Amino acid sequence: MAAGRAGRWFLLPGLVFLFAIDLIPLAYSGWVSFYNWWLVRPRDVRFVGLANYARFADDPEFTRAVVVTTLFTVGAVLVEFLAGLGLALLFAQPIKFLRPIRVLLLLPLFVVPVVGATMWRVIFHPELGVLNYYLGAVGLGPLPWLSDPRLALVSITLVDAWRTIPFMFLVMYAGLEVLPAELFEAAAVDGASRWQSFRHITVPLLTYIMLLAILIRGMDAFREFDIIFVLTGGGPGTATQTIQILNYRAFGLGHMGEANAIGIVTLIIVAVMCFVLMRAILRPQGARS
Amino acid sequence: MRISRSFAGVAAALLVVLAIAPAADAPASAQGKTITLSMLAGYKEDVLRANLPEFEKKTGIKIVVDAAPFGDLYKKQLLSLSTGGRYDVLFMDEPWIPPLSEFLLPLNERMKTLDTADFIPTTVASGAFQGTQYAVPVDPNVQLLVYRKDLFEQKGLKPPATWDELLADARALHDPAKQQYGIAVTASSDIQTALYMLLAMWSYGAELVDGGKGSLNSAAGKKGGEVFLELLKYTPPNVKSYNFADVNKAVQLGQAAIAIQWASGAKPMEDKTRSSVAGKLGYTQVPKAVRQTPMRGVWTVGIAKNSANQDAAWQFATWLSGREFGQAAVTFPSATSAIHSPRFSVLKDPVTKAALPYADALLASLQITKERPRLREYADIQENLRVTAGKLTAGELTLEAALKEIDAGTNRILGK
Amino acid sequence: MKPTRLRATLTGVALVPVLVWTLFPIYWITTASFKTELALYAKPPQWLFTPILDNYSRVLTNIPFFQYLKNSLVIAIGTTLGSLVLGTLAGYGFARFHFRASEAVRFLVLVTRMAPRMVLVVPYYLMMQRLGLLDTYTGLLVAYVSFALPFSIWLLIGFFVDVPLDVEEAAMIDGCSRLGVLLRIVIPIAAPGLVVAAIFAFLVSWNEFLFALILSGVEAKTLPVVIAGLNTDAGPLYGEMSAAAVMVMLPNIVMTLALQRYLVKGLTLGAVKG
Repeated sequence: MAAGRAGRWFLLPGLVFLFAIDLIPLAYSGWVSFYNWWLVRPRDVRFVGLANYARFADDPEFTRAVVVTTLFTVGAVLVEFLAGLGLALLFAQPIKFLRPIRVLLLLPLFVVPVVGATMWRVIFHPELGVLNYYLGAVGLGPLPWLSDPRLALVSITLVDAWRTIPFMFLVMYAGLEVLPAELFEAAAVDGASRWQSFRHITVPLLTYIMLLAILIRGMDAFREFDIIFVLTGGGPGTATQTIQILNYRAFGLGHMGEANAIGIVTLIIVAVMCFVLMRAILRPQGARS
Repeated sequence: MRISRSFAGVAAALLVVLAIAPAADAPASAQGKTITLSMLAGYKEDVLRANLPEFEKKTGIKIVVDAAPFGDLYKKQLLSLSTGGRYDVLFMDEPWIPPLSEFLLPLNERMKTLDTADFIPTTVASGAFQGTQYAVPVDPNVQLLVYRKDLFEQKGLKPPATWDELLADARALHDPAKQQYGIAVTASSDIQTALYMLLAMWSYGAELVDGGKGSLNSAAGKKGGEVFLELLKYTPPNVKSYNFADVNKAVQLGQAAIAIQWASGAKPMEDKTRSSVAGKLGYTQVPKAVRQTPMRGVWTVGIAKNSANQDAAWQFATWLSGREFGQAAVTFPSATSAIHSPRFSVLKDPVTKAALPYADALLASLQITKERPRLREYADIQENLRVTAGKLTAGELTLEAALKEIDAGTNRILGK
Repeated sequence: MKPTRLRATLTGVALVPVLVWTLFPIYWITTASFKTELALYAKPPQWLFTPILDNYSRVLTNIPFFQYLKNSLVIAIGTTLGSLVLGTLAGYGFARFHFRASEAVRFLVLVTRMAPRMVLVVPYYLMMQRLGLLDTYTGLLVAYVSFALPFSIWLLIGFFVDVPLDVEEAAMIDGCSRLGVLLRIVIPIAAPGLVVAAIFAFLVSWNEFLFALILSGVEAKTLPVVIAGLNTDAGPLYGEMSAAAVMVMLPNIVMTLALQRYLVKGLTLGAVKG
């Protein structure tokens, strides 16, 4: 289609708004990251160049936080993507009783995050929680959900999955709904099996939506804070201490330069990950856009 | 074309919303004196809101309450004050006074008009920094020892006065098979873990900061740390994920025979809808070793230096720290907690003692309480202490390594 | 491709664990709102109990709940509408018009969403302070539209490129303008995408905490900040938190039920033209 000038009138309002609202503060925060600025001493703001970044290089705490954050992100996104896709396919079947159940599946999205996490903490409570009560009753528990370093990471992933599988489901379900039914009918007439039509029709047509779901979730998981903070506060020890927990600490103590440097590093890591992922998935397909 | 019509409707509605939004934001009217208070959200806010109308009626001063959650209040105050924000009065935890002092109005002259003799002296000190008074006390908090009177009687035990006795009692009352545990403390990366550990180290004579340097790595610090770690043998099995509320739960649901807890956690223990041991608890001072050092944490109010209504703000601050509000606060019918007055006259009042079974322990502890280092950098130091204590209890560090790391962190923060 | 009875049964069986997993925490929150704290932690867990309304009455009397509910609603609806309008236009622009830096600009749109909010909040606070927009609906609305917009744009691109070009061209030959094509042809076909974008934008605003905390205080304070305040210095007030969370959940459910009828197949081309 002709690249007519009309395009700009569609693009401009949103882009001007977005870049003005987000890129200006972002540029500001990049600039602040080169300063030593402690809110407690507003008259003592000094330019320190890359000092705020340099300290990450030899800080084992930061390195560890990057590893923890990556583990959490990969685990959470993988679980959520597969579960979301499975549910979307399940619900895309023309079965009558699925329609009214659909909205039930979305409910976790509507729970205020801090309340959801607080209630999961009650459910996970090692001595008093309902989960360990029943696990104990059938001889499988009690489990140290939040007090064992490894299990704590699994537990926060589970809670994150609980809250965001509905999002994954919704996005991919909507994507499935707009696929033209004619294609599947034609394939069925040609004698294609369910798997074949999934592999050769659904997956290629849904690639973009699936990629988007993974990208958006990946970004959010990498910056997840509420759930982790409420459930473990980064513990036990430093087992669930993510980059965001470190950022929160620097920000909370008023160290603006350091907090912004952590933020910019996070942004760069996330941007690179997204870029690589997009290249890997879109290029071989011949990008649709 | 229902959808496109609704889309057009949507666009029109957006314009309407944008148009009316500024109208909806009109600032609170400036008639009369209006004071903006930065307040802690939760039950303290409830107590305050319930009593505000009386103050407003009496003085004609209107109070606008901006309440923020506990975990975010300091951050919000710091950001607002350091960028010329609009608070007149601030409700602050005492460790925040040194870092915020730069932005607060010195109150030394005004303090002379206050009946300071009625205040427990340590609570007044909580509002001071480097000889200048920046805030007046409103709600004192201090660590207490809570114990189950019934279980102690059964075993013929007396409430522990020393850390050795505490260890012995916790051991005697620890019976995991019956889900009955000796003591509830936290051993997570929660801040309380660090504060329990610091309490034990203090008791043996160690200091977190001494002579401007980190000095926890000493024989006393080591002894305190060992006692703290020993205590963890008699706790519920999963204290590695416990926080303040979980310690309370362990007491309230009858699992723990002893706890060290802040006075602010005591009231729910006496509430029958939250506690199965209401009425069975005794309260006393935390144990001692070479000295007795219950930690202090007083909520205070100060006035912003850039406030345009300093006199009205002072009037409000004195009312908040006054006897009348204190008496109303301690008897406020809230199950969750109370604002505890810093005044002798209120804490000794029979009505108070009837409402708060721990009033005597609170008063006694406040008189001998120890304050955390008064430094602008204290929040950073405490954060380092929190992380390291978490690593210690999770087994990532040995006690020796943890003590070294705490001091190294303190020295780095203080630029030594 | 009519599913067999067996298939329907298997689907039903597979759904049971999914629903238990999804709904149990919500059931627990809901019942907690009608329980005392002692009952919440009771052993064995209490599934049946005499409900109490104390938690609700405390939330409603202690805090001006409806004032904050109104704030949340106005800001969330504004965010939804704003991001839908801007997102639809930009999404369509990206889907149909290519220019040299098209891909890069699209990626830049996504980058705005990658920045940690903790980093953006202080500069944004200073910006709004200069503009006198602290503690106003507008201040939060603008921020939230910018949060929701990148996803809306990217999602809608995906739905718009699937709309067959020949249908659009036919409409333009019939004298329809570009905007007319978008409104009459493209949007109806891509309706499920718009529904998802709308629900998502609403939730971004409805659940957002950090910006609401820093930017608002008295006048424009939203529910997440109020509810976080129930997590007090002496621990969470489980009953009150749950009661507030249940009340906060209801508008979401109503909105989703209202929107979900667009979330269906069957808006076929024939129906659109008719």
